Amino acid sequence: MHRFKKGHISIALVCAVLGFMIALQFRISMDQKASLPYQRLEELSSRLLDAERERDKLQEKIAALEAAVENGEAKNPAGHRAAENMRERAGLVAMEGPGVIVTIDDSKIKSKAGDNQNLYIIHDDDLLRVINELRAAGAEVISINGQRLTASSEIRCAGPTLSVNNVRSAPPYEIHAIGDAATLENSLKMRGGVMETLAVWGIQLEIQTSENVEVPAYKGTTQFQYAKPVGGGSQ
Amino acid sequence: MITAIGGLLVGLLLGAFCPIIIPVAYSKLFSVALLACLDSVFGGYRSVLEDKFDNTIFISGFFTNALLAAFLVYVGDHLSIDLYYVALLTFGFRIFQNLAIIRRYFLKKH
Repeated sequence: MHRFKKGHISIALVCAVLGFMIALQFRISMDQKASLPYQRLEELSSRLLDAERERDKLQEKIAALEAAVENGEAKNPAGHRAAENMRERAGLVAMEGPGVIVTIDDSKIKSKAGDNQNLYIIHDDDLLRVINELRAAGAEVISINGQRLTASSEIRCAGPTLSVNNVRSAPPYEIHAIGDAATLENSLKMRGGVMETLAVWGIQLEIQTSENVEVPAYKGTTQFQYAKPVGGGSQ
Repeated sequence: MITAIGGLLVGLLLGAFCPIIIPVAYSKLFSVALLACLDSVFGGYRSVLEDKFDNTIFISGFFTNALLAAFLVYVGDHLSIDLYYVALLTFGFRIFQNLAIIRRYFLKKH
């Protein structure tokens, strides 16, 4: 221990620096944990978990109720058929059949300096034009990234993503359409048509015909909050 | 020994009541520097036990280690090489090794 005493002051100084740093670091990490963003993160994540649990429970309930409805309708074949038809038209039943799968992705071309970047990414109006063209060509049911298009579905830009049925998804967008496959394909590929216009900006549009295209059912709510039927019967 | 502990206490008090805040962007560098300092101090204590203690080596090592560690992590950040974890691993490893050696010295002594 003899040599240790030679540099008493310097060692004390070093230890003081170390203590200072430890105390500072301790205080900072306490501050960080107590800071608002951190707490908010924890709170939000727990709320997200709660919401997801609730959603799962409700989905189970839906499945149970639908099964019960089908049981009830099985006793009345005519009514059952009519109700089934209604549900198919409303998009509440998953469908399959021949058709096309159209995949659209953002442009791979780098935008030139001074060019508008927006031209190279997919927008709601690009998709709307594709959908419109498909409908004109007789597509019977359509879905975008697993979201069934119904009479009340929206297609809308939500930041860099696209919102369909209020569910957001990012590119690439996969459009499933059931109908006459050749007509659907040609409607997009026709000269001066959608595909050619989008190709100018390098937006990648790929059409794949298939004998068996699957379109999922609409998963959102089907209850009207404001609209009420006008009295006096259904006809 | 007493001077060391006294210095440590003074430093702790200073740090606890000093109104300095390290910005979040530099907290990573600071923690690496702190780890390097801890490593130096444990290494110094070990060399005292081994009777090889050299004041100059200890003090220069203490400051250069800390500054170099922080500097390397800073440079690594800018070159997108995450040296932070490397520093954590290396210094952590050395601290535990030093602790083990210190423990062995105490066991031998008694």
